[in-house]
Amino acid sequence: MVMSFFKKSSGGLEHVVARSVGMLGDARHSFDLATLALLTDTDWNAVQSDILTTDQRINQTEQELRAELVVHVTVQGSTEIGSVLGLILLIKKIERIGDQAKNVLDLAESGVQLAHEDDTDTMLAERGIISTMFGEAAELMTEPNDDRIEALALRAGALVDSHQAKIEGYLHSERPGREVVPRAIYYRYLKRIVANLLGIVRTVNEPLPTLGYHDNGATDTDD
Amino acid sequence: MDTALATEKPTRFALPTPLRALLVGGLIYLFLVGVSALEKGINIMGSDTQERLFESVSNPIAGLCIGILGTVLVQSSSASTAVIVGLVATGNVTVDEAVPMIMGANIGTTVTNTLVSLGHVRQSNEFRRAFAAATVHDFFNVFAVLIFLPIELATGFLSKIATAISDRLVGTAGSEWKSPIKKWVKKPVEWIVDGWDALGLSGNWLGTIVMISGLLIVLFALTFITKNMRELVADRVERSINTVLGRGRGSVAMLLGLLITISVQSSSITTSILIPLSAAGVLSLRNAYPVTLGANVGTTITALLAALATSVPEALTVALVHTSFNIVAILTLYIPPWWRDWPILAAERLANVAVKQRLWAVAYVMGAFIVLPLIGLALLR
Repeated sequence: MVMSFFKKSSGGLEHVVARSVGMLGDARHSFDLATLALLTDTDWNAVQSDILTTDQRINQTEQELRAELVVHVTVQGSTEIGSVLGLILLIKKIERIGDQAKNVLDLAESGVQLAHEDDTDTMLAERGIISTMFGEAAELMTEPNDDRIEALALRAGALVDSHQAKIEGYLHSERPGREVVPRAIYYRYLKRIVANLLGIVRTVNEPLPTLGYHDNGATDTDD
Repeated sequence: MDTALATEKPTRFALPTPLRALLVGGLIYLFLVGVSALEKGINIMGSDTQERLFESVSNPIAGLCIGILGTVLVQSSSASTAVIVGLVATGNVTVDEAVPMIMGANIGTTVTNTLVSLGHVRQSNEFRRAFAAATVHDFFNVFAVLIFLPIELATGFLSKIATAISDRLVGTAGSEWKSPIKKWVKKPVEWIVDGWDALGLSGNWLGTIVMISGLLIVLFALTFITKNMRELVADRVERSINTVLGRGRGSVAMLLGLLITISVQSSSITTSILIPLSAAGVLSLRNAYPVTLGANVGTTITALLAALATSVPEALTVALVHTSFNIVAILTLYIPPWWRDWPILAAERLANVAVKQRLWAVAYVMGAFIVLPLIGLALLR
């Protein structure tokens, strides 16, 4: 451990970004398992402990990274304060995705089962799209590309809008509550997960909103 | 990895690393010139002036107070101990007289991080943690002096240890030590003396101005050594502190504190970095404590460096006293578990009082580092 002083390695923020990517991988793992328990015949008991352990690991990493960012500012001064604040925001969003994945599991735990419904295939397809977005966001965190970020942001934005439309549809639906309530709640979680992914890629591109940024809540992408 | 978050740094002029390393080398040379000029300036003064100037340090408590006040004044034990080494090299201050001054410098250097902790005074919980992290260093150093100063005065054990090491390094006591560095710095010191001499100064005036020039050079060089070394090793310091946060306890934290301080040539930098981390709650008091002890030992490297600019074995001896004192203090007060927590408990208690009555914090800083040493000096000189 003492020898770490003499070793040459990547600097503070690069290390934080690398670990954030790992955190996002964990969040994706939780999302995949939780949606599997809700949308397929997978028993929620079988994935529960994995999701809880992964969530603990995400929370632990968040705490460690926040401490590392405090150390970075203390040692290196405030020259990179924009990036530091952006990273604090970013790791918070990843931590929230972990929590939202756990919320999806809570739905399955409370007895909701959407494995053999008319819209199961649609929901499974959306699950696949969102899971892929996790991978894209992770790639963009390590190798940012303005065009790819913009393309992902557009797709994520469209998905958030479609989720919102579905939620509103369920709110005014004539179908029984036992059918629409779980779906409205599920899509609410999906909407927040995608919004947080969108927030992550936007933060990679621009850590802090620029001066004079006012959108009157039009880009409400926080958790 | 090329991430916008990790690589977008505000544009500012940064000296390339090899050039900065060369600059640090030059500054170390300048520091040695400063120590040598200080010694030369005092030697130029008449013997009666020298006697008057240093008569107050014959009382050990007065010497301790001078050590505290001098270090508080320059905010650097590296600078004050380098000056003490220079004084010993002139022959006007003996090793026995220098030991309490060195111990005083150890206490005085803790004022910097205590002042840093006052910056958190507006937020109670932050201030409690910050003030405790700062004063744990104070309490350890005060306890060490309370225990070892009387023992040193009665037995001279620290001087004996340091003399034995010094004899091993440069030959038996009394012999003239031919420091190679002394030869390298001789010319610039002559230029300083000749420069002031050309302006018509002589005798005590010339000695005083050469001494002040030396002092200013020492302070200038140390300030910029610290500043540049901090830039050079910032990533390593950051990594080390992250290690302390993660798994570093006891000896690991202490060794990292030692390495950071040797690298930046300032224990104040090391201990002051810990304060915002403690205030934010990311570093516990128990993890910060051993880092400060490592910093205590690391800062002694400067006095050893200063001794290289002299050809007097006693100067090296007094520098080694500084190192021995801090190592013996750790061996006695930190390694045995039964009183290891005393400084922590005292610091926590003082922090609780300071949070309830903020004025006590200010009173503590003023009293411990300025008023009490001034009273001690006034009564005992």
